[in-house]
Amino acid sequence: MKRISKLLIGALALAWLGVAGAASVDEDAAQSLAKKSGCLKCHAIDKKKDAPSYKSIAEKYKGKPDAEEKLFKHATSNPEVEVDGKKEKHDSPKTKDEKEIRNLVRWVLTR
Amino acid sequence: MIGTWWKNLQERCQTCSRVTLSAGVVLIALVLGGVLMTGGAAGLAWTNTETFCIGCHEMRDNAYAEFKDTIHDKNRSGVRAICSDCHVPREPGPMLMRKVNATFELWGAFVTHVIDTKEKFQAHRAEMAQKVWIRMLDTDSLECRNCHNRDAMNEEKHTEKARSRHEKAKRENLTCIECHYGIAHSEPEGPGPQELKEARLKKK
Repeated sequence: MKRISKLLIGALALAWLGVAGAASVDEDAAQSLAKKSGCLKCHAIDKKKDAPSYKSIAEKYKGKPDAEEKLFKHATSNPEVEVDGKKEKHDSPKTKDEKEIRNLVRWVLTR
Repeated sequence: MIGTWWKNLQERCQTCSRVTLSAGVVLIALVLGGVLMTGGAAGLAWTNTETFCIGCHEMRDNAYAEFKDTIHDKNRSGVRAICSDCHVPREPGPMLMRKVNATFELWGAFVTHVIDTKEKFQAHRAEMAQKVWIRMLDTDSLECRNCHNRDAMNEEKHTEKARSRHEKAKRENLTCIECHYGIAHSEPEGPGPQELKEARLKKK
């Protein structure tokens, strides 16, 4: 019984670490990529600019389980977006590293 | 020798000695004045250098650290802006006012230690940014336009996006800072230039 409890606690701890690791955000790396990629030319964190603020995006996707996937697709597929009534292509982050892009997406979702 | 000469002059001609004395006083005053003016100008110029600004760790470790590797620091052409290009007016009157205000900042740096840690800097970031934005709203982003002349912009070399944004700026009479903020330094929380402008218009 004691051995099973220990194994259970160990498994839970590992699972928690896995979840925490997956959900953790490297703030500095995300901000650096956002700056390098020119995201902040159109998106402000919580203010008005040409594109929705990251805070409003986080609000919009709050509680949605597919939020990260949807935003990842948006960030990497260069979709057409409308700005002041004109259509233009949405730029993608200046990296091919999926982990870095997902980190950026998670950073946006936690604003 | 000068003493003897002076004594002889006084004996020979009282008026001459008075004129000579006055001329000597004026000459010394001119030289001293010249030294003070040159020294003052040199001192003011020195306080406009990047080295001076980042001499304080508050600026070096926060504002300057964020500024590094941004487009105003490193770019294709190598033309870069330093602190005073954006934060110190070029016109003499406003420039001197800014320098007077800066002496109060010295009080904050050395006596009250207002922003001497990262946490304190963060806590005051919005206040500092809003002061700069408000001045830029009031002056049609004068410090931006000191280098970026709208009339000299070759729109054929702009991207489609840039052209479209600048057309909107012309239509809606926007000033540079309303869109181009958070470029050199990290964006603080709270109202941005557009929100500040709207709040002021509502007050009127």
